[in-house]
Order: sequence, then structure tokens, then C-alpha cells
Amino acid sequence: MNSLESVPDLEKLMYVAVDGYPCVRLLNLSGEIGCSNPGRDKVVAPIVRFKNADKLAQPSTVLVSLNEVQSLFTRILNDSTYAKNIGGVLVESKADQNELNDFSPVEKFPQAEFAPYRNVHYEWNPIGNGIMLNAYNFPVFLLSQNSTSILREAAVKNEEAEKSYTTDVAEFNLVMQTTKAGTHDSKSCLKEGTCLPLGGYSVWSSLPPINISSTQSKPIILLVASMDSASFFRDKSLGADSPISGLIALVAAVDALSRVDGLGDLNKQLVFLIFTGEAWGYLGSRRFLLELDLQTDAVTGLNSTLIDMVMEVGSVGKGSSEGVNTFYAHATMASSATNQTMAALQRAQDSLNSEDVKILPANSSNPGIPPSSLMAFLKKNTTTAGIVFDDFNTVFANKFYHSHLDDLSNVNSSSIEAASTIIARTLYILASKDTNISNSTLAAINTNVSLVEELLGCLLSCEPGLSCDLVKNYIRPTTTSCPSNYVGVFLGEPSSAPYPGTVNDVSRFLWNFLAEKTAISKGDVISSCKQNCSQKDQLCVREKADGKGVCVTSTTRYVPAYSTRLKYESGIWDVLPADSSDPMGMLDPVWTESFWDVIGLRVYTVQDTGYDHLVLAGGIAVTVSAYVAIVVARAFITKALKRD
Amino acid sequence: MTVAAGVGYALLALGPSLSLFIAVISKKPFLILTLLSSTLLWLISLIVLSGLWRAFLPLGSTTWWPYTILIVTSVCFQEGLRILFWRVYKRLEDILDTFADRASKPRLFLTDKMQIALAGGLGHGVAHAVFFCLSLLTPAFGPGTYYVNRCSHIPFFLVSAIIALAFVTIHTFSMVIAFNGYAEGTKLEQIYVPTVHLVAGVATLINLGTGGCLVGIPLLYFLAILTLLHCGKMVSRRLTENQSRQANS
Repeated sequence: MNSLESVPDLEKLMYVAVDGYPCVRLLNLSGEIGCSNPGRDKVVAPIVRFKNADKLAQPSTVLVSLNEVQSLFTRILNDSTYAKNIGGVLVESKADQNELNDFSPVEKFPQAEFAPYRNVHYEWNPIGNGIMLNAYNFPVFLLSQNSTSILREAAVKNEEAEKSYTTDVAEFNLVMQTTKAGTHDSKSCLKEGTCLPLGGYSVWSSLPPINISSTQSKPIILLVASMDSASFFRDKSLGADSPISGLIALVAAVDALSRVDGLGDLNKQLVFLIFTGEAWGYLGSRRFLLELDLQTDAVTGLNSTLIDMVMEVGSVGKGSSEGVNTFYAHATMASSATNQTMAALQRAQDSLNSEDVKILPANSSNPGIPPSSLMAFLKKNTTTAGIVFDDFNTVFANKFYHSHLDDLSNVNSSSIEAASTIIARTLYILASKDTNISNSTLAAINTNVSLVEELLGCLLSCEPGLSCDLVKNYIRPTTTSCPSNYVGVFLGEPSSAPYPGTVNDVSRFLWNFLAEKTAISKGDVISSCKQNCSQKDQLCVREKADGKGVCVTSTTRYVPAYSTRLKYESGIWDVLPADSSDPMGMLDPVWTESFWDVIGLRVYTVQDTGYDHLVLAGGIAVTVSAYVAIVVARAFITKALKRD
Repeated sequence: MTVAAGVGYALLALGPSLSLFIAVISKKPFLILTLLSSTLLWLISLIVLSGLWRAFLPLGSTTWWPYTILIVTSVCFQEGLRILFWRVYKRLEDILDTFADRASKPRLFLTDKMQIALAGGLGHGVAHAVFFCLSLLTPAFGPGTYYVNRCSHIPFFLVSAIIALAFVTIHTFSMVIAFNGYAEGTKLEQIYVPTVHLVAGVATLINLGTGGCLVGIPLLYFLAILTLLHCGKMVSRRLTENQSRQANS
């Protein structure tokens, strides 16, 4: 027994704060999804286990294990009497590796409405159960490892019920501002200021830097990846395979290409784009294409007419099987550009001189490209030549697509390394003047394996997480807890030079990293670097809190990523009416996230009200009987004294 | 446990004190003053003791003997303070008697002196209850409850309140017995009070054992009732002696 030293210690022992990852309230133009407390108050409900509670007699906290989650939610959707008695749901953490084979809470064809082809019933994600896209008026939390054992003990205590007048309860604090204000869709909540739209900052960089003043503009090859994922629990959206493996492959490819000589002699301009918000309506890619049309500051140096080819790196973490890494190229309509790219991919594969890597074209029976940012490009211009580079052919290889289980154990670093090397070599082949590049030139383009390992540790694990040396070299991370790649809400006013406090850590890190890698000249560390960089087009990277940083000549920019249906006007977001010139905007749900005050979860023991009243009655009885006894004694003594 | 239970626990520990205050103490202002100063004195004594012992905490709950030393030293300190309290009271009694003589008013009766002792004892009891029970009661007003492993039949706050009630009784009536013992010079009463205080203090150590509260708490109540009865017997004896003395004079 641990000794208590103060009343706060006693309170901490009585009211156990449980750490858990919440599911929060998200809204769109037609309604809501996600979870919230039903009113303004905390929800207090006794803990029961799903497998032991067939019927619920009163509002209860249901403790459910991972492989029962789907059956619980199916029951909630189908059985309204059961659903009425759900006070809250607690999901246990993963006990062991073999517990669950697949779990995906999104649809079977994610974001099908944005597909540039008609077959929207094709199942890219056949295990998807869609539970994330329903609205629940009760709180749901995912528990951590030690919270799971605390909750299990409490549930067992309730079941054994040695003392029938006490119960262990869970207290949920997941009160959402939109529930309190009664705003149940994006338009009303944005107007009332009870929510913010989802969004962030995409990053693009060109290798080598674009000389804006030069008159000759080279055709552009785009390499695209995304940096955001989604899951039922907003703080556990790792997205290791989809899409972070692709992001890491892109970053490693930039690093590999930056070490090649003679980049200035390339025929075509290489531009690397990392979008955010893709999981919530392709926000990054759509906004980028709009800014390209409007020729804003964020995209100076780029011109949509110059784009020759778009290559997207999707999920590349699961290509390994028995030592062989297999990847698939999903192409848009056949054209000279796509044929050229396929040939370049084959050349890159051959240059690897081993049987370990295979690049295959995707199955022609596929209806088209898989869900990817390229869909936004195609909707804009149906003749865009593009290829999506993935580790799957006809269905996702990722069995945990957009779930909290798509973590580090779901990807293979050798698969990512192979993909990165292939992509770097392919880009070099496509951009180069030579039609016959020697094998030795290509063999010099290699992925830095330790960089890939470091990035995996920084972006996908809790230790070291964003406090890893690689990230800390460039930025000071604001998140100290485990990383989550959920896009989050758009802070502040959209701008091409945003205030660093409004840009999330991963975007800031990527901007600094890419700026340094693609730079052609690098200065020394100087102070007040932002104002004092000597040349006009120089950027300040590795900026520390005291203003010291390094000036580099590079073309690296932030592009705001938010819905094209929204406009920021003097502190308020307005929803613009649907416009036929923006077909994707017409289908955009315009996702927003509710505000909240505090989110918390506690577990404690509660006594029956009958017992409480018994104690009060006892106290009153003792007081009254003592009074009576004293009065009697006093009368007795007084009488005895008066006897004489 | 909610406000109802919190108030219930507070009344269990201090309800009888409240009754005694309303029925006896509140009638005479001097008794209220005595009660207040006594409560203050004994609270300070407990604070000084905890200050002195702070350096040795935490004691480590594996063996009993550190706790025994803690309780024995504290009881000895308080008993020493009781003698000091008596001396101060004696001087005050002399001053009051001198005032009464000068104003040609009657001197303090025996019943007055016993009531002052009672108020002093009540102050000691209230100080104990506030220090050991009321200060821990704040969490009881919230929604949760707490059961200790070693006494898992009733909530911790209930155990605390019941023990506090026993000690309030012991302290209140001990002071009456002690003052009488010092006034009359009878050895029995002078030894009785520290002994009971010490035994009661050490008896609480029984609660450290698993299920010990089932033995410890009845023992405490046995001591409380013993004290109450002894006080009653002593009071009736002295009053009848006084009556007969007055009748004879």
C-alpha cells in the first residue's frame, strides 16, 4: 500500500485519471460525424464488458476489445433500445500482434465522390466498415496499454459485485461546443464560431531552385505525396502505410537526387509537392490547383501549362513479400508522357541489377487510379498525364487503412527504401537530356537508408517521436507527446508566408528540410536571419528562438490547404455557394471540427444514494440522541443539586 | 459520495460536540471563551507535533514500531501540555475568585469548575476531530468514495468519522476527570487520564492490520464508554460530597 501524504494524494487515488484518445465531433455541410457528450454535462456510467453484457439495463460504459468493435457498432446502429443505454464506449488497446487481422473504419471506396470515373462501387478497401462516418451522441475513447488494465479491473469488480452498494463508474468529459450551441452542420457552426475548418499548410520545393528572372521555363515534372491521415481517434492517426510511407519515400528521393551533380543541366524542372488535408476532401491538392490558376504568391515560378507529368507516391510500405519488393504503377489514360514514365520505371528497375525489386503496371481491369491526389488533377484537367506508385494492385494492401492500427509495425523499411531509390532514378531518367544514361550514373543515385530509418522513428513512433535529432536540427517541435498525422484545423488567416505558430510541426520540418536539401548555396549561421538574408530570394532555415538561422537560396514554399468552398473574411470563415467551375468543390463536404473546452476521462467508485442517505440519517441521529442525553443529564444534575 | 454523505460524516464526528455546545456551553460566555482557547491550544499542539515529526516522514509502513514511537511521544507531549493547561486554569481560577470577593459576588461553584473543565475537554476533542477527520473530509463531498484494503467493509471516511467520535468522547470527559484529579490530588484520577489516552492511541495501531478495524474500533468505544462512566461516577460522588459539606457548614 502506498502511503498517502496529503489530501490531494487521496483525491488522486480516489479519482483515477485515465489516459485515452478521444473521438471528436466533426461536421460537414449536411450534418455531423464522430462522437460527443449528449449535452453540457459529464457522462457518468458504470463499466460493463461488451461480451458479458447482452442487455443494458441502464446507461452504461461499454468496455470493448478491438476485435469486437465492429460488432458493437453494428449492434448500436441496428438496435435502438441497446443504443439508448450506451453511456460511453471505451476501446481497449491492442493486446498482441495476432489479435486483429484487419480493421478500417472508413468506406470501401474512400472519397469515391471525387473519382474521375463512373464505377464508384469498386471496392478499393473491401474491409472498410464505415463506422467512422456516422454520428454518435455518446463519447468514445481509445485506451492506452495501462489504462486498459485499470478499466478491466473495474469491470471485473462490477461483475463480481461483492459490495452491492458500490459501483465503479467512468466519467467522460467530451463536451463539444457545437453540441452546446446547437449548430449541427458546417455552415451554422462556422457562422456561430463554434468550429474551425480542417486544413493546414502543404509544402512544395523545386530541385534545383527556379530562377524566376530567367526567360526560359523548363517543363515541370511533379512528384506528389501527402502527409496527413485520418482515424476514428484524432490523436492516433499515424497513417504509417497510407500515406507516410510515401512521404518518407519522397523525402529520401529528394535527398538522393540532391547529391547528384549536374542538376542544372537537366532538361526538365523537378518539383516536389507534399499535400495535407487529402484525407478530408483532397483539400491540399484542390487548393494548390486553384492557387496555380490564380497565380498567387504561394506558387510563383509554377505554371500549370508547364506541367508535363505528375507522379504520385502513395503507400509504399507493404511492397515486401519474401524478400522481393513489388510495386504497381497505376496510370491515367495512356499517352506519350505515361508511356515514357513506364519506360523510365522499367529502366530504373533494371539499373538496380537485382531480382529484388519489381515494378508492374496495375491491372487493366481496375476502373482507374486508386484514391489519390491525382484525382484532383484529373478533375481539373482530364488530359493530365499521371502515375500513382503504390504497393498494391487491385485492392489496398494496407489492412488498417485510416485506422489507429496503421502504425510502425504495419510498414517495412526496406520496401520504402526500394521505392525511394526507384523513384529517384526514374525522375532523373525522365528529366535528363540523355536518352541513354549509363548504369553507373544511375547506380550513384541511392537512398540513404539511415535517413529512412530516422524518419520512420520521428514521424511514426512515440520514442523519440518529433523530439528526434533529425527534426530538432531544423525546428523546435511543439508536440511533446506521440505524433499524430491528422490534419487538424486551419489556424489564422491563409497566407503564403504564414506565422510559424499556425503551421504544424511536420509541415515546418518538411519546409526546412527540403529548403536546405534543394539549396544551391548555403550561408553561415547569422542572427535575425529572416530580415538579414543578403539576397532577395533567400530563405531562412533552421531558425531558432533567438532568430539565428542559415540563409539558403532555394525555392521552397508553403501553400495553404483548405476547402475551395471556404473564404476567410475578417476573422470569419464563409461557405461559398457551389460553383460549376469547381466540380470538386460542388461535391466537397466542407469538413470542420468542433471546439471543446476540456477533454478527460476518470474512473472512480460510487456509492448508492441509499447508502449516502443512510449515513446522513446516522449523523443526524447521533447528534439528536446526544442532545437528548445531555439535556436529560443536565436536568438530572440540576434536580439533584436543588434537592436540598 | 455527494454532499449528503459528506454532511453525514461531519455530523457523526462532531454532532455530539455540537449538541453539547448548544445545550451547555452556549449558555455561558465564559465557557465559549474557554472552548475556543482550548481548541486553539490543542490544535497548535498537534501542529507542533506534526512539525517536529515531519523530518522523520515518511515512516515506511512495513513495521509498527515507528508508529508506536510517534504515538507515545505525541501522547506524552499532550499530557504534559494538559498539566500546563491545568496550572494556567488554576491561576485563572484564583484571579476570578479574587474578583468575586472584591465585588461581593459568590465564588466559582463546583459545577462551574466542572463546566469549565468540560469546555476545556470539548476543545481538546474538537481539535482532534478537526485535525484527524474534518481535514480529510473534502473529497467525501464529491461523487466518488474510497475503501481501504485493510478495512474494506465500510468506506474510509466512515471509519475516520467513527474513530473521531470515540476520541472526542474520550478527550471531553478526560479533562473533567483530570481537573478533578489535580484539584483533589487523587492519584487514581491523575494516572487514569494519561493511561486511557495512551491506550487509545496505541489501540489505533490495531487498525493497521488487515481487518484490524473490526477489533480496534470496538476497543476504542469501550474506552470511551469507560471514560464516560468513570466521569459520571466521579461527578456524582463529588457533588454529593459537596452537598453534605455545605449542609454541615
